[in-house]
Amino acid sequence: MISAAYNQWNFNLPVLSLCVNRNGDFVAATLGDGTARVLPASDEAVTPKVVAMHDGISLSLQPDADDHAFLSGGDDGKVLILDPVLGETNVIAEVKNTWIDHVAASVDGKYRAFNAGKNIHVLNEEGQEVFDPGLSVSGTPGAVSFSPNGKRLAVSHYNGVTLWWVGAKKPEAETLEWKGAHLGLVWTPDGQTLLSGMQEGALHGWQLADKKEMRMEGYASKIRSMGFTARGKYLATSGAEQVICWPFSGGGPWGKQPLMLGGAEGRLVSCVAPHPKDEMVAAGYNDGMIILAPLDGRMEVMINPPEGSPINGLVWNATGDALFASSESGRVLLFTIGSVKSALVHAG
Amino acid sequence: MSQIPVTVLTGYLGAGKTTLLNRILSENHGKKYAVIVNEYGEEGIDGALIVGADEEVYEMNNGCICCTVRGDLIRVISGLMKRASTFDGILIETTGLADPAPVAQTFFADEDVASKTKLDSVVAVVDAKHLLLSLKNAKEAENQIAFADVILLNKADLVGAGDLAHIESSIRNINRYAKIIRTTRCNAPLDKILGLGSFDLNEILKRDPDFLKGEEEPHHHECGEHCCCGHHHHEHDCESRHDSSISSVSLISSNPLDPAKFEQWIMDLRAKKGPDLLRYKGILDLMGSDNRLVIQGVHMMMDGTNRLPWNEGERRASRLVFIGRNLDEKALREDFARCAA
Repeated sequence: MISAAYNQWNFNLPVLSLCVNRNGDFVAATLGDGTARVLPASDEAVTPKVVAMHDGISLSLQPDADDHAFLSGGDDGKVLILDPVLGETNVIAEVKNTWIDHVAASVDGKYRAFNAGKNIHVLNEEGQEVFDPGLSVSGTPGAVSFSPNGKRLAVSHYNGVTLWWVGAKKPEAETLEWKGAHLGLVWTPDGQTLLSGMQEGALHGWQLADKKEMRMEGYASKIRSMGFTARGKYLATSGAEQVICWPFSGGGPWGKQPLMLGGAEGRLVSCVAPHPKDEMVAAGYNDGMIILAPLDGRMEVMINPPEGSPINGLVWNATGDALFASSESGRVLLFTIGSVKSALVHAG
Repeated sequence: MSQIPVTVLTGYLGAGKTTLLNRILSENHGKKYAVIVNEYGEEGIDGALIVGADEEVYEMNNGCICCTVRGDLIRVISGLMKRASTFDGILIETTGLADPAPVAQTFFADEDVASKTKLDSVVAVVDAKHLLLSLKNAKEAENQIAFADVILLNKADLVGAGDLAHIESSIRNINRYAKIIRTTRCNAPLDKILGLGSFDLNEILKRDPDFLKGEEEPHHHECGEHCCCGHHHHEHDCESRHDSSISSVSLISSNPLDPAKFEQWIMDLRAKKGPDLLRYKGILDLMGSDNRLVIQGVHMMMDGTNRLPWNEGERRASRLVFIGRNLDEKALREDFARCAA
């Protein structure tokens, strides 16, 4: 088949990260030369804006606390805000002689956090450090993440995840222990449960109120991408031949089988993006294939053929009518509901 | 996508690692290297992309000691591979106290690192003057020798010829297969250090078709002719060599192996003796296959996916080398012989 993409851009540089802002109206892709390319998250035909970001590369790109901007940390030890309209950056923090692995901003817009090695910095709206001395963890962080209500900060590391209340006068660390290297973090939309993807292809989760734990195994690779489907019903995850969706409605995932969507032998899901409104997940594979998979048992639809380079980013715009995908080799693809439908009609 | 070669430099503080690094970076070879050092902002290294690592060891699989990897290397190498600025190789400097096993295992165990890079060789820089004492006192020194593909016997000018021969034989007792180069100020030709494919037996065989052949007779427990006899250090050195529990064993079979029997044996061996197996490499002639299987491993982790056709007119045989602690050579030989079809 041919791709159902409405538009595509080839940057001929590795795409590091693909991100949509909180307003859902701009998409940014960071590239291997230290720049970002910024696009409106619609089918508007414009030339992507080129924005110089870091000396070296951006190591983490996230939606900013300002709903319309992006937050980035990089090789040069700088944390900066990218304004997609102006195409400009503003450095808000810098740590000398090190690099910034992870950045995060709270949804309520009050806090930004980042790590430099094992040290965690939390900034308030004015850009000042909230805690003095700062926070630290026992191992280098795998992710920095705010709870959905912005009141708690979680940092994953080797052998566990550490939490703080960011509004507290004196920060008290609470560490949830589990052996192994914890990488990415995801919160349930109600903020009650925190899950981490692990180095050895497993998920580990904690229900925060009673510390009841959950462990999901059997993945063929690290889980690089995970997200909750509309209304928090399922946690969709990459890392296996199929999109593995753990049920979180009606008492949680304990003792239940996951939904397994799409898939074919010999390729692994590298990226997932649940639709913001509909019960559907977009999934990219390590051979470039992209599918749309409904959660209700209907057949999945392939919208991009396996073209070789792994899909490493997938994001929806706010309205859910445009899907952006990036490949490691440097392409960004845009699919619209219209382009997908016409490709399907064309394919019969 | 081709995999970027990685060279690991081990050795104690003061042995000459920084001298070697500076030579590699400053010599006019037209190649660009990224260097991963222990401490960011380390003095004396310039002109290259330098990134810091913090020797963070991860135990995988719920705390299995011999399934350890270096978390910092996973992060740093993944970051390096995303850069647009290309380089021809990566050099990793480790401290004298670092265990080389997690470093090597990172290249087997982490999918991101394994797909984008390959371990080219492990180079140990040792101080000729202090090696024997270090070997006597520190397990780390032994490990570094055991893991090395190339050993630079540095500061050789400070030690007499007789002593050098003796030091080399001590090294051979631990690792019979490493290449030893005597150097002063690490003045070895760089093509003997970089781009060797030492970890890749196919490459080794290209350069040296007789590698792993012969030497079936064990000589590492003897105090033989090219050893220390008659030398004034005789006594305490012979003692130190027998204290060492690390040795090398080479197994050869001219009969094809039964794939099922071999697989079962190597699996059991790794499960039971994994912690003692420091490094092993082999080329195997499996019954019913026109390809030779190349395996290499560190502790319990093994890569055995590399299959290439036998060369025209090549004598087919299976060769397997172990470098490890408390190796039961007799049992290894007997068990290996039983794998013949």
